[in-house]
Amino acid sequence: MKIKTIQETLKNKSLKKEFAVVTNLSNGDSEIFVPGINLKGVFSEYISKIEEIFNSNRNGIIENSEIFVQTFKNPIKVIIVGAVHISTFLIEFAKNLNFEIIIVDPRSFFATRERFPHTKIINKWPNEAFDEIETNTRTALVTLTHDPKIDDPALKYALKKKFFYIGALGSKKTHEKRCLRLIEAGFTKKEIETINGPIGIKLGGKSPSEIALSIISQLVFEKYKNKI
Amino acid sequence: MNNFAEKQIFEKADNWAKNNKKIVLATVIQTWGSSPLGIGSRMIINEDGNFLGSVSGGCVESKVIEECISLIKNKKNCKKIEFKVSNENAWDVGLACGGDILIYIEEITK
Repeated sequence: MKIKTIQETLKNKSLKKEFAVVTNLSNGDSEIFVPGINLKGVFSEYISKIEEIFNSNRNGIIENSEIFVQTFKNPIKVIIVGAVHISTFLIEFAKNLNFEIIIVDPRSFFATRERFPHTKIINKWPNEAFDEIETNTRTALVTLTHDPKIDDPALKYALKKKFFYIGALGSKKTHEKRCLRLIEAGFTKKEIETINGPIGIKLGGKSPSEIALSIISQLVFEKYKNKI
Repeated sequence: MNNFAEKQIFEKADNWAKNNKKIVLATVIQTWGSSPLGIGSRMIINEDGNFLGSVSGGCVESKVIEECISLIKNKKNCKKIEFKVSNENAWDVGLACGGDILIYIEEITK
């Protein structure tokens, strides 16, 4: 691999581009693949196979060849509604698990720079905040305020946009009431069932850090289940 | 696919290259059975034997580092190394987990 490929990789990562590094294993030659742009030399013969591996979020050798493809996709975006105590731990866990976190909370006394020094914070109501966030089916939503005023608009948005993961904090009772409100708002039972509520996998813990661990575990599980 | 570690590894490679160190990149390019780490897992090694990242759960790293340093010494460009299940000799380098991995080592060139 050329040092140029390594430097280009780092540049593309900082620009949040999605790409692949292709290596010719027989001589160590390497190039950067960007969707829609053709490659030079021997790599150009394998362009459709490279695209196939890239689109399926995999790494690997193209069958019957000496071409290795390593895919670089942007981290999964996790929107957390509620700058609460659990969120501080979620951010800590997310750092080492390749998730990008955005905090949304209209209550500015909660979502302060001091409490969340290195995280993107949007001090707005979810409906306004979502205008500023690019979302897709690789986006996740975690609602933690259990205040319907704040959580519900975010949940409705995520359901409509088909986020791959939606989790809502709150007891079984809170969640039942939430489901009823969503039915009244016109969502189907099937759609509502995609919400993980009560949020997280059952670990038994009750402290904010333990709840954060159960939420992040569920996110990792769903990421691999959905091959995202 | 988790690119988090790759970014740190590439940053380290860039940093070593700026200090004119000879560098070898090791990548898991194929796996069979239950391998400890997935395809695309990487480790970077410099001529002084310093390294970052991993290509297994600690099972084959020492051998890979040895191979990388000899790649630099022999002025070779690249090489594939296959590791299979370790059996009779418990101290032999191999994968106790029962899988096979193919590792590609290559020198970082200007």
